Amino acid sequence: MSERAEQEKQLIEWLSDMREDEAIALANRMLLEEKANPLRVLEVCRMAMDIVGQRFSQGEYFLPELVLAGEMLEKIGAVAKPLIRHSDGPAQRKLARVLIGTVHGDLHDIGKNIVTFMLDINGFEVKDIGVDVPVQTFLEEISGFQPDVVGLSGFLTLAFDSMKETIGAIEAAGARERLKIMIGGGQIDETVRAYAGADAFGRNAVDAVSLCKNWAAAA
Amino acid sequence: MTQTPAGFGITLIGDRINPGFKSTRELLECNDLAGIQALAVRQAEAGAASLDVTIGARAQSDPQYLVIVIRAIQEAVPLPLCFDYPDAPTQELCLRTYDQARAGGQLPLVNSITEDRWHLMELYRLRPFRVVVMVSERVENGVARANKTAADFASTAKRAALRLNRDYGIALRDVFIDISVSAVVADTQGMHRATLEAIHALRADAELKGIHLMGGLTNIGQQLPAKAADGSDLKLALENAFLTLAVPAGFDAVLCTPWRPYAPLPDDNYVLQVYREFLEQSGTNALRVVRKLYRRV
Repeated sequence: MSERAEQEKQLIEWLSDMREDEAIALANRMLLEEKANPLRVLEVCRMAMDIVGQRFSQGEYFLPELVLAGEMLEKIGAVAKPLIRHSDGPAQRKLARVLIGTVHGDLHDIGKNIVTFMLDINGFEVKDIGVDVPVQTFLEEISGFQPDVVGLSGFLTLAFDSMKETIGAIEAAGARERLKIMIGGGQIDETVRAYAGADAFGRNAVDAVSLCKNWAAAA
Repeated sequence: MTQTPAGFGITLIGDRINPGFKSTRELLECNDLAGIQALAVRQAEAGAASLDVTIGARAQSDPQYLVIVIRAIQEAVPLPLCFDYPDAPTQELCLRTYDQARAGGQLPLVNSITEDRWHLMELYRLRPFRVVVMVSERVENGVARANKTAADFASTAKRAALRLNRDYGIALRDVFIDISVSAVVADTQGMHRATLEAIHALRADAELKGIHLMGGLTNIGQQLPAKAADGSDLKLALENAFLTLAVPAGFDAVLCTPWRPYAPLPDDNYVLQVYREFLEQSGTNALRVVRKLYRRV
């Protein structure tokens, strides 16, 4: 194995094992001192994120590991992105556009913020329009931002009705066919998904990323 | 030695009659009234002072079933009920169905109002009740906003309690301030620190003497593994850690499963030590400490 390949393997291992200091020091050395291709380093980081996501799905990792891994990726990205030159290869194209917000009547934002963060670091163009979002605002943002996916978040049971109402209004506005709708929040399950009329629901941020990746791949 | 929350010296509101619990959902779906009654009795025997009641969305689609469930519970236990609905029509049905005489003359509880859901107080014309006030949000210039700081929680609580007292003559001992106890796993904004500081501040406020400070504990351990790094039951240990700090500060009522074996934790308990360390941190540093709860790092 070449020295660079071994280095990359080491970076994946440290990132996915949550050895934050070592991982970031190695990435910085590769980028700043050894002039590694920044796009390649970011690609390696994403491979590590896939491992973290798998460990999360398997119950080995929990939310803190997801967020901390995301933070490492952000830190490395902040160093890598200014170093990208046209000659390094085509810039990473965003996978898809996702519009996300907490439905009206509900002010919870923690889950939504985590989903936004995870979609962003996984290569989606995400627009977060906040909490307690009126139906009309969703319609206006859909018209302006033209998302491929709309994510509706809600923690309270009364959010189920707001989700149903929001999705109904998207349908009435004639925009339903052009986009996928996913919902999530503390108590969301298949019953709520069917009630609200969404395409899918997610139990956590990794589910949200998988749903969006699958839809982007199918598009 | 284990104790019930009553052993912590606080009032216990049983939370099991809620379809959020899978076993309860099955009882409700099968119209198993005897099973629901047994659940009520089990909570009463474990020391519940009142029982929280919600049958979920079926209350709207099948209101008569809600009436049947409330009557069945009241036939089984002489405890006051805490009706867990945010909408006025459902609360009205609950309050009309409630038989105060069966509850030893005690008032029911309405769970819950917020500054943004104050219209529920119109129900006070029907009959007197005790009030649970959720202080996770406030209304500012006509707009609902999430509360994030101790000052937000405490000022919202005080404003609501004094308003209930002034406008409806509700005694402060009949006001339950529900301070959110959020999931530690996602708490990068110091919400737990804010909750504990607000409890201290509200208990120290002479104008609020007699008020109850309560919260639910189901969120605290969400999305964490079952076992702590020291091998103990992590969710239970976290609930205990919170109570160990909150009860001496003035937290005096809890919405929880009555037979959870609660007990104050000693100072050298691993989870309590990590919880204290977590309270000192914000941002992703708080999550680095949360990892210590389940992983020796």
